[in-house]
Amino acid sequence: MALIKVEKHEIDETEHEPVRVRGFPFFPHFLLREVVVMCLIAGSIILLASLFPAGLLKPADPFDTPSPIYPEWYFLYVFGFLKFWTWGIGPIEAKTIGVTLPMVIWYGILFLVPFIDRNPSTDIRKRKVAVALGVIAVLGILYFTYYSIVHH
Amino acid sequence: MSLSEKLYKWFDERLKLRELLPPIVKHPAPEKVTSNPLYCLGGTAFLCFLILVVTGMFLAMYYKPTPVEAYNSVKRIMTEVPMGSLIRSIHHWAANTMIAAVMLHMMRIYFMGAYKKPRELNWVVGVSLLLITTTFGFSGYLLPWDQLAFWATKIGTGIAGSIPVIGVYISLILVGGTDIGAETLTRFYAIHVLILPATIVVLLVLHFMMVRLQGISGRL
Ligand code: HEM
Repeated sequence: MALIKVEKHEIDETEHEPVRVRGFPFFPHFLLREVVVMCLIAGSIILLASLFPAGLLKPADPFDTPSPIYPEWYFLYVFGFLKFWTWGIGPIEAKTIGVTLPMVIWYGILFLVPFIDRNPSTDIRKRKVAVALGVIAVLGILYFTYYSIVHH
Repeated sequence: MSLSEKLYKWFDERLKLRELLPPIVKHPAPEKVTSNPLYCLGGTAFLCFLILVVTGMFLAMYYKPTPVEAYNSVKRIMTEVPMGSLIRSIHHWAANTMIAAVMLHMMRIYFMGAYKKPRELNWVVGVSLLLITTTFGFSGYLLPWDQLAFWATKIGTGIAGSIPVIGVYISLILVGGTDIGAETLTRFYAIHVLILPATIVVLLVLHFMMVRLQGISGRL
């Protein structure tokens, strides 16, 4: 019974593919929406730029270490993880792990996602493991970002 | 014949518009894509990239990539150059918006499973785009040569340098010596305005060609 269901579902999916063709022509409908969205985004960027201009601190001084030093916000999680991870494993130093895991290993996993996840379904209810891992990854990055701000 | 018709005819006789345009103009965009704003994120990243290219060109006209002049040239952009402060701030905000949009775009692809067959390779190109985009941010951060720029780069290159095996080389290539200095600044400038833009254009062409070829994945 379950098998039949799965088969049926697969047939459904292939029949769904041509849905692509039933849509709006790119021009003018799709383009119009694009232009509206683009105006909104360009407008917001200009608004932000005029309200919060880019900063410029004192000139660089190699002999005066300021505190705190923050990198760009999208690198904070690497800093956070490095602070968080204090355990060496055998001959591998804690720092080596703290650097390798959030950069090399993390990007390695990202590159391989389509080859690790062999589940063909795109139905979110049938991808519980992938979705759970994705949520954990997002929460993890948010947590280590937070950690880097609290423990700088 | 109206003027627009005459113009169309003039170009049509030379560029075969009648054959060229319909596949672009009439190409159907799926309904779901037109109604769901999550599909705007890739386009948002691309718009930000275009804004960055244009504002970056203006900044490059005044910016000087040497330790002696860098800071003052940025200061001059902020205080003396007409609209300079606005252009630099737009560059700043477009950069941050682009990174956020790329990350959210990637999350939409992940949670919708849009990386599955036949789109595996486009995901790989996508992750490379994420790497390039964040490297843009990293290299741009040093250029104003203020305290934050200098010290954040010192720590950043230090972290990259402690990656096993390849770290030493990455750090040597980036820093161009043992300490952050004139060598580092010109390198970061070359990376930021020549190497990365050339690379991202190639990757974007691949990315968009694959989107066009494979279509946008259909189901939610
Ligand atoms: C510079 C950064 C990027 C730009 C400008 C960009 C742009 C786009 C655009 C305009 C689309 C069409 C659909 C949409 O907008 O949602 C798209 C689709 C796609 N992107 Fe990106 N993207 C970028 C980075 C990424 C990243 C980081 C990934 C994933 C790691 C990725 C993976 C994909 C995939 C797999 C598709 C096909 C989606 C589908 O068929 O539903 N892209 N991209």
